[in-house]
Amino acid sequence: MNSWDILLQQIINGVSLGAMYSLLALGFTMVYGIIELINFAHFNVFMVGSFIALWLMQAMGIVGQSTILYGLPLIGVLVLVLVVTMLGAGVLGVAIERVALRPLRGVSGTAPMITTIGLSYIIYNLVLLNVGADTKNFSNPLPNIPWAIGGATLRLREVLLWGVSLVLMMGLHYFVRRTKMGKAMQATAQDQEAARMMGVDVDNVVVITFFLGSALAGAAGLIFGLYYNYTSFVIGYTAGLRAFTAAVLGGIGNIPGAMLGGILIGLIESLGGQYLEVRWTDVIIFSILVLVLVFRPSGLMGRTAPSKS
Amino acid sequence: MSAPAETRRNGITGIWDRMLSEEWQLKVGLVLFILALAFPLIDGNEGDIDAAANATAFAILALGLNIVVGFAGLLDLGYAAFFAIGAYTYGIFSSYQVQPEWSSFWEPFRWLGLVQQLHSSSGVDHVHFAVSFWLMLPISALVAAFFGVLFGAPTLRLKGDYLAIVTLGFGEIVPIVARNTPYLTNGAQGLNGVTTPSFFGYSFGVQSTPFYYVGLAMIVVLIFVSMRLKDSRVGRAWMAIREDEIAAEAMGVNRTRLKLLAFAIGAGFAGSTGTFYVAKLQTATPEMFMFPVSVMLLVMIVLGGMGSVAGVVVGAVFLQLLQSWFLQDLTQGVHWLGRVTGIGLLERVDLVQSIELIFGIILVLMMLYRRQGLIPARRDVHALTLAQQTAVPSRGGIKGEMKPLHRKAIDPGKPLLQISGLRKAFGGIQAVRGLDLTVMPGSIIAVIGPNGSGKTTFFNLVTGLTQPDAGKVLLAGEDITGLKPDAIVERGVARTFQNLRLFANMSVMENALVGVHSRTTTGALGAVFRPPWVKREEEAARQHVLGVISIFGNRLMPRVQHLARTLSYANRRRLEITRALVTEPVLLLLDEPTAGMNPTETLELTDQIRDLRERGVTILLIEHKLNVVNEIADRVIVLDHGEKIAEGTPAEIQRNKEVLSAYLGRTAATAAAAS
Repeated sequence: MNSWDILLQQIINGVSLGAMYSLLALGFTMVYGIIELINFAHFNVFMVGSFIALWLMQAMGIVGQSTILYGLPLIGVLVLVLVVTMLGAGVLGVAIERVALRPLRGVSGTAPMITTIGLSYIIYNLVLLNVGADTKNFSNPLPNIPWAIGGATLRLREVLLWGVSLVLMMGLHYFVRRTKMGKAMQATAQDQEAARMMGVDVDNVVVITFFLGSALAGAAGLIFGLYYNYTSFVIGYTAGLRAFTAAVLGGIGNIPGAMLGGILIGLIESLGGQYLEVRWTDVIIFSILVLVLVFRPSGLMGRTAPSKS
Repeated sequence: MSAPAETRRNGITGIWDRMLSEEWQLKVGLVLFILALAFPLIDGNEGDIDAAANATAFAILALGLNIVVGFAGLLDLGYAAFFAIGAYTYGIFSSYQVQPEWSSFWEPFRWLGLVQQLHSSSGVDHVHFAVSFWLMLPISALVAAFFGVLFGAPTLRLKGDYLAIVTLGFGEIVPIVARNTPYLTNGAQGLNGVTTPSFFGYSFGVQSTPFYYVGLAMIVVLIFVSMRLKDSRVGRAWMAIREDEIAAEAMGVNRTRLKLLAFAIGAGFAGSTGTFYVAKLQTATPEMFMFPVSVMLLVMIVLGGMGSVAGVVVGAVFLQLLQSWFLQDLTQGVHWLGRVTGIGLLERVDLVQSIELIFGIILVLMMLYRRQGLIPARRDVHALTLAQQTAVPSRGGIKGEMKPLHRKAIDPGKPLLQISGLRKAFGGIQAVRGLDLTVMPGSIIAVIGPNGSGKTTFFNLVTGLTQPDAGKVLLAGEDITGLKPDAIVERGVARTFQNLRLFANMSVMENALVGVHSRTTTGALGAVFRPPWVKREEEAARQHVLGVISIFGNRLMPRVQHLARTLSYANRRRLEITRALVTEPVLLLLDEPTAGMNPTETLELTDQIRDLRERGVTILLIEHKLNVVNEIADRVIVLDHGEKIAEGTPAEIQRNKEVLSAYLGRTAATAAAAS
C-alpha cells in the first residue's frame, strides 16, 4: 500500500465510524433541540441497542462470525434485527423520558442533566449485572466481500453501513421537514410555549423525539457490533462522548450539523490514529469539544449560540 | 385517600428538618468529631482504619467540589482532574520517576533539602527529587489552582450544562495525558515508590492511622473554610451568581473574577487531596482519577444537599460507609435471599461491585424527590402571623434619619448623566436610535412610551447589560460607555428590573448584602480568617442594609431572614429597590417600580421615591401609571420606536400631539385634541 492507498483506506474507515457517530449524535442533538437537555443516558441506550441486536441474532441461531447468509435471507435478517433493535431502543428512550425526565420538565438548572447521569449509571450497571464484564463476540451474518480500490479495500459491511445510515438520516430529514409531527417538533424547538398555544401536544412531541433519537442510537449499536465484531457494557461511554462531540461540533440542536459532525469526528479518529498516535486521538477529540464550546458554541452549522442558563 | 399519606410524609420530613436545626447540627457535629477522633482507638482493625483514611480523601474532595458546585453553582464534572494534577505533582517530586543527571545546578536545591544526589556505579550521578510532603501540600494546591484558573478563564463564561460538558472533557484529557507521558508518570503502570511523609522524624510508612488523622485535620480545615466563606461577602456573591448571573453583575459582582476564585479554591483543595492520597497509597495511576470519581463526588453532594456543608459531610461519610462496610454485609443477606428464593441473579450479585448502580439510583431518586438534599442548605422560615404583619403601623414616607445614600460628591450645577447619540439594534430592529438626554442631579425623570419603544433597552445600555452600537454615556463627566455592569455600579449607577431578578434562594438580608458587594473589600482570605476589620466591615454592611430596609417601614423589616422567593410581589419590588439603594447610587434606575402594586401601595412607594430624591439620589424611572408620573416626575421623556419624541414637564407632555398619537393612534389623538 502506498501512502495514497493508506489515506483512502483511512477515509473509508473514518466515514464508516462517522456514519455511526452521526446516528448517535442525532439523538443528542434532537433532544437538546427540543428540551435543551444534554442526555447522558443516551450513551447507554446505544450500548443496550447493541445487546438487543446481539440477543436477537443469537436467538435466530446466528452465533459469532461462522453463520454467513447471502441474498434474501441476509436482507431479511438484517431488516428484522434493525427494526426490532430500533423499536427496543426507542421504547427504552421513551421509558427514560416518561419515568425520570418528565417530572423534571421545567426545573431549571442542572437537575435534569444530573438525573440523566444517574440513569446512565443505572442502565450501565444493570447490563453489567446481567451479561458480565467480559467482551462479547458479536454475531455477524455478513459475507466478507471485499472490493479493491487501488491498494485500499472497501468491504460489503462498510457499503451496507453507509447505506443504512444514509437511509435512516434521509428518513429523519423527511420526517422533520415534511410531516405534520416534524413541523410540530420544529415549532416546539423554537418556542415550547408558543407551540403549546398553537395546539401542539408538547408532551407527545418530546416522546416522539426521545423515541426517534433512541431508535437511531439502537441502529448505531447494531452497526457498532457489525463493524467491530464485539460488544461490551463499556462501549457507551467512549462512543457516546465522541458522538456528543460530533453533535457539538456540528452545532447542537442542528440535525444536518450532527451528521456532518459525526463524519468529521470519524475522520479525525481514523486519520489521527494513522498519522498521529492512537493514544492521542481522544485528547484531540476532547480538545475539539472544549475548543468548540469555548470559541464557537454554535458549532459549524448552528446559527444561534446556546442560550440556556 | 392520598391525603393522610401526604401528611405523614410531611410529618416525617418535618421531624427530620427540626432535628437538623442549627443547634442540633452543632451538637451532632461535635459528637461525630469526637467519635471520629477516637475511631482508630476504638476499632483496632487495621483494614477499617485504612478504609477510613482513604475515605477522608473523598470527604475532602466532596467538600472542595461543594464550593464550586454548591456555592457558586458551577457544575464541574471533571473535578477529578485537579485531584490528579495534585497527585502527580507530589508523585513526581517525591519519587524516583524523574532523575535528571546531577550537575552543580542542583546544589542549592540539595542544600534546601528538596533533592538528593544519587551515586551510581557507572559514574554518572542522578538527581532524586525528595520534596517534603508538608511542603507539597500547599504547593500542589497552588499548582492545581493555577491549572484551575488556566482552564477556567476561557470556559467559565459558559453556562450550566455546557460548563459541565467542557469540564467533563478536561477531566477526560488529564488522565489520558498522564497515561501518555510515561517518562513523567510511568504511564498506565503508575508511579511507584512515592516517598511517605514523616512528621518530626516519625515516618508514616504504610500505617493508616497517621494518614487518617491528617485527613481528619484537612476535613476540619475545609469545613471551617467552607462555613466562613459561605457566610461572607465572597460566599454571598457566589450564591448570587448561582441564582442569577445577570442580576449579580448588575448589583456590582464581578462574575468572572468570582467564578474563577471558586474554581481555583476548589481546584486547590483537590490538589492538596491528591498529594495526601498519593502519599498514602504510595502510587498513582491514571485510573484513579477518571470520570467515576467525579460522579461519586457529585453523588455525595447531591445526597447531602448542594451548598450544605453539613449535608456534604454526611453524604460523603454515608457513601464511604456504604462502600466499605454496609454493602459487604448486605451482599451476604441478598445471597441468602437468592438461595432461599432460587433467584439466580440475587445469588450472584455482589453489591460492592454494584456501587455505581446504587450511585445512579441515588442521583435519580434525589433529583426526582428531594433536590435540596437530605440536609438542605436552606430551610424556609415560617410565615409571619397576622399580628406580626400588622405590628408596626409605620408606613408611608421615609421616617427617621438616614445617612446620605451616596458617597460621591456631586456638583449640583453640572449634569449628572449626559447621553448623546445612543444607538442599539437587534438584528433589523432599531431598539434605540440616536437618543440624547441630559439629567441634572436631584431630579426625577420619568421615561414613558408604548411597549416596545426601547425603554428597557435604554436602561440596559446605561447600566452596561447591553453594549451600545454607537453613542456615549457620561456620568458626572466620566465616560462609562461600554463598561461592564459591575464597574458601572461601582461608579454609582444602580437599577431594578422590570420582571424582578431577585436571588430567590437567598434571604432578604443576603439579597440586600449583595448590593453592598461593590462597596466592600473582603476577599477569600479575609472571609476565612475574619480579622477585626472584616468583622467591622460586615457589621457596618448589615447596619447599612437595615437602615435602607427601614425606608419601607415594617414591610420588609420583620422578614429579613425570609427567603426572597417567599415574599409577596410588592415586597419583592421593595427588596429590589433596597438592593439597588444599598449600592449607594448617585443615579437610580427604576424599571416599572409600581407594577403589580395596589393603589395604596403605589401611593406609598411614590412618597418614598420622592423622599429618596430629597436624600440626593437622582432617579430615572420607567412607569406606565401616568398618575405616578404626573405626581413625582420633574421631567418626562417619551420614547417611541427607539426615538425620543418629546421631553418636558408632565403638564407639557400631556398636551403634546405626538405623544397622543404615539399612545392613541392619529385619529384618536385628533379627536382628543379637539374635545
